[in-house]
Amino acid sequence: MDRGMVIFLGSLLTFSSSWLGLILFPFWQLNNEQPYQKDATEVPYPQPLQGLALAGRKVYQANGCMYCHSQQVRSEKFGNWWENGLEKTGADIKRGWGLRRNVSRDYIYDNPTMLGTMRTGPDLANVGSRYTEAWQHAHTFNPRVFNDWSIMPSFAFLYRKERVTGERSDKALTLGREWTVDPGYRWRPTPDQWDAILAERGEAIKAQFLARPENAAATGLDLTSPEGKRQLLEFWLTTEEEGYQIVPTDEAEALVAYLLSLRKAEVPLPEAKE
Amino acid sequence: MPSRVTGKAEPKRRVTEMSTTDAVISEADRVRAAAERAAIDASCRGPVLFFASSAVFWLLVGSALAVIASVKLHSPYFLTGPAELTFGRVRMAHLQAVGLGWTSLATITAALWQMCRLARTELIYPKILYASGLSWNTGVALAVLGIIFGDGQSVEWLDAPQYAAPFFVLGIGIVSAWVVAVFRRRREPHVYVTQWYILAAVFWFPWLYTVAVFMIFWFPATGVVQPIVNWWFGHNVIGLWFTPVAVGTAYYIIPKVIGRPIHSYYLSITGFWALALFYAWAGMHHLIGGPIPAWLATASTVGSMMMFIPVIAVGINHHMTMLGHFDRLKYSPALRFTVFGAIAYTWVSAQGAIESLKDFSEVAHFTHYTVAHAHLGVYGFVAMIFFGLFYYMVPRLTGREWASSGLIRLHFWCSAVGITIYFVALSIGGWWQGRMLNNPNVPFGAITTYIKPYLFARTLAGVLMTVGHLAFAALFVMNLAGWGRKRSGGPTYFNEPPANP
Repeated sequence: MDRGMVIFLGSLLTFSSSWLGLILFPFWQLNNEQPYQKDATEVPYPQPLQGLALAGRKVYQANGCMYCHSQQVRSEKFGNWWENGLEKTGADIKRGWGLRRNVSRDYIYDNPTMLGTMRTGPDLANVGSRYTEAWQHAHTFNPRVFNDWSIMPSFAFLYRKERVTGERSDKALTLGREWTVDPGYRWRPTPDQWDAILAERGEAIKAQFLARPENAAATGLDLTSPEGKRQLLEFWLTTEEEGYQIVPTDEAEALVAYLLSLRKAEVPLPEAKE
Repeated sequence: MPSRVTGKAEPKRRVTEMSTTDAVISEADRVRAAAERAAIDASCRGPVLFFASSAVFWLLVGSALAVIASVKLHSPYFLTGPAELTFGRVRMAHLQAVGLGWTSLATITAALWQMCRLARTELIYPKILYASGLSWNTGVALAVLGIIFGDGQSVEWLDAPQYAAPFFVLGIGIVSAWVVAVFRRRREPHVYVTQWYILAAVFWFPWLYTVAVFMIFWFPATGVVQPIVNWWFGHNVIGLWFTPVAVGTAYYIIPKVIGRPIHSYYLSITGFWALALFYAWAGMHHLIGGPIPAWLATASTVGSMMMFIPVIAVGINHHMTMLGHFDRLKYSPALRFTVFGAIAYTWVSAQGAIESLKDFSEVAHFTHYTVAHAHLGVYGFVAMIFFGLFYYMVPRLTGREWASSGLIRLHFWCSAVGITIYFVALSIGGWWQGRMLNNPNVPFGAITTYIKPYLFARTLAGVLMTVGHLAFAALFVMNLAGWGRKRSGGPTYFNEPPANP
């Protein structure tokens, strides 16, 4: 092999073969797939993203969400595991990540198509049908609001903490001060800070505490005992911070709109039958 | 494919000429060869050291990003405030910094210098290569900063914002042209195995990159065709860009350091053509179980399994060349890094072939098992061989030996122990993560809680590797600054070898 031409032609041929087989053939096979419409009265599926959800895809993309979240529900025949000698499969569907497996037609309007290769977090192909808008906002703001064990980043930088002027915004997140005093972190006063707060407005907080019907019986709450202080602190942390609110930025609203639009495993498709 | 068989002994004879220990070579020949090498190295010095130093710079940037990303995965409140440092962005920037920064620049360094050395030709118009290096570095800087400031693309390996792509195309275009030009002006009629690999790689990579950018960004293909192109690129950037040049480098360094020819010319040929044919087909196993045609994944599984052929061929060839000379690992830093990389190559490729099997993938896919595998490949194999190359090459370019063998030792052990912890921890954790993901009765929180200690171990590994890189960078800067002793006599050893090792 002392001639450059042999090496050049050889590597050209081997490489072209893979380009032809792995790129060009799938391109011919899949590039012109059309939406599915059962009959003329039905809306074709899928539909291209529009407006806020389309803008949200950019936020999802720019923050690398797909490096922890896939968007593909796998077949009910996929995924081997054994228990008591019985083979069980199809964990994706059994986990409630979608009603059926995903097929190529589900993605014809995706650009980029973020199938993902990692499940540090759960699959999101169909996440739009699982959670409400309010849940998504609070969870994006700080996932540990709902799941103590979560290692998902807080996206508090997509939210704005502002002074309430007049009415609270109807978009404002309803979260206790535990989460909002220091956005992105979980806040607790130090014992000294808490003592200072108690000295200043302990009675008011206690009144607020007793006003809750479930606490009506706790009139004996002692603000000087450690147990009483602790109990009142736990309550106080769950109350909203006076005078401040957390509102989503445009980016956060777009992101959540995108998440809510992810319903890739809901509409039945003939080719997705197992 | 022996094109010009002029006798089976020819290749061996030629290779032997490369080494300076052969008794047949007269003193006059030796002096002439040394002068020729010195002239070649002098012509390479500027551009090659420019590529090498920017590679080292991006290695440090990439390591810092890696540690940040790793810590965030077990301690989510770490640096959680600024959007610029959110996990997803740091993760993308890390891959660009180490993939297109360090590893690609080291690949270019290796390709340019070894091509000049093996063609016995001086580098022509070296100044144009500065433009190429500048262009490539601009591309990496735009990629890393662009991602950090919110322009990441979320296309694995191609996360760089679109405005970075032209700089990469220009940079690699010039490098490829120069490598071919040097090859065409070669004075050495025999073409050594390293040159095959380099020639093929500088041809494959620009094509690969351009097709991928074209079909994903400039004229985006529909739906799942994009991830198909994406993984054809993502797998081949390792298989047809890093791997050939790294394997070629091992083929160069091992015989050079131990002063023996390569064991078998025909195994080299088998290894090269089998890699060219099969590796290019292997990428689709990244999409096993996904919404792509089943035949695609199957074709790639076949390609991946066939990879046993080149891997075993190269493994035997390297092993048989080293046989009887393993004691040299005690002395030569270049050899120790290179042999570590060569062993990791065999391991990671065999593992990769098995990983492509559907039954195996059903557990390992979507888990940290794959992350461990990827790092064993790109770090344990590719980066370690390039570290070896740098320890061999830089003194020959600067005329200075390494300032401290203690720092080299620190680098080696931090890197070797680091990647081992990395690989073991994430392989075990990832495997059980996969088993639990496949069991719908295990709640998701339990999986996350289970994997956290392994992710913490990965941070330890990352810190170790980063310490190694700091030692490496310090040595590199000291060498450029002229701190080492002038080169005369033997290289820098870990320990002085016995008089006639």
